[in-house]
Order: sequence, then structure tokens, then C-alpha cells
Amino acid sequence: MLFFRSEERVREWCQEKRLPVRPLVRLDQLWGLATAWYATRLQPIARRPQPAEMRAIFARLGLDGDFWDPQADRFG
Amino acid sequence: MDLDLDVKLAIYQHFAQTTRRPAPDEIADRLEVETPAVLDAYRRLRAQRVLVLAEDGAAIRMAPPFSGVPTQHVAEVEGRRYFANCAWDVFGIIAALQKPGTVHSRCEQTGEPLHLAVEQEGPEPSDWLFHCAVPAAHWWDDIVFT
Repeated sequence: MLFFRSEERVREWCQEKRLPVRPLVRLDQLWGLATAWYATRLQPIARRPQPAEMRAIFARLGLDGDFWDPQADRFG
Repeated sequence: MDLDLDVKLAIYQHFAQTTRRPAPDEIADRLEVETPAVLDAYRRLRAQRVLVLAEDGAAIRMAPPFSGVPTQHVAEVEGRRYFANCAWDVFGIIAALQKPGTVHSRCEQTGEPLHLAVEQEGPEPSDWLFHCAVPAAHWWDDIVFT
């Protein structure tokens, strides 16, 4: 889970590593992920999101497709 | 509260207050319990994917979003510098501490540094991108690689 300056830099890195290019995430979307996972992490009520909750979080942030499905067996 | 919850909260409080991972005996002292009981709790928390432990089973490698070891991802909050496990978690530390901060990291391809102000409403406008090479269903197959 890494930062890149641009989509072109992602493509270069993936090509060098022989990895597929995965969905790109804007930093405002990443902030949405970070707050959904961690905003209560220092509190007694904190717990990791369950699969259905993960899907809802991803969908709310516009992150769709099998790549984001925590129980998928194929990945777009 | 049960011991596992007490240990989990003590670990997170230690990271938040000191920026570094606690040793098991520090948690034991804080909770006034024996160190072996803390290590047993560590193992249960690892099974619940709350912690990632080093090979010795005692040192905390990850207590997401905090990293127990230095990384390229640093969250600076109120003058303190916290190491994060990844790009997601460096935002996560600022979210967890619920205070404004600055993210320090880099472009993985070029090494160009990233310094980004983050308020509670989110990061300042930026066209940098986040990329995860591993599908969500496999994040915990090898969480250190992920």
C-alpha cells in the first residue's frame, strides 16, 4: 500500500515489479478509508470492519469491483 | 473489561503517548499483571488480526495503524513522529489521534518526497495517488507485504 506521484509512475512501478496495475485511489478516498478503519482505534469500542461493512465502506467511497471485495475469488 | 481488551488499549495508548512499541513488561507494569499473561494476550490478539508479532512472538511488528519498526511512512502530530505500516496507515494514525498532522512519505517509483498536511476534514488538495498491489481478499495472506 504505497503512494505514487501519478498514474504513469504507478504503471512504471508495476511493469518493473511484474505486477498488475490495480485500481487507483485518490487521497480524499484514502482519507475516507483511514477514518472508517481507524477513527475509533484508541477507544474501547474499536474493532476491525467485518466483510459486509468493508463492502459498504468501499462502495460509499466509490471503490467498486472484485478487487475491493474481501471475499472475492477473482479480481478486476 | 477483559485482559485482551485491556492489553490492546494499553498497546495503543503506549504508541500514542510515546510513538514507539511497548515491551511486554511495560504493558504488564501498566496493567499490574504478570508478563506471561500479556504474552498470552498478544497471541490471542495476533489470531484476531489486531497485532502482527515479530518472529520472537514478543515484539510488536504492527499494531495497525502503528508500526513497531521504522518505515518510510511517518505521521507527524504535535511534534511527534509516528511510523506507519503503509500509505493507508499513515493517514490512519492521524485519524486515530484525531488531531491535525503532516504525512511524510515518498513516491515508490521515483523517491520524490511527499509532505502533506492533513486536517480532521481530510488532506489538503493533492493529485498524488494510492495504489495497493494486493486484492482485499488477500490482504492478510502476507500483511507485511500488503
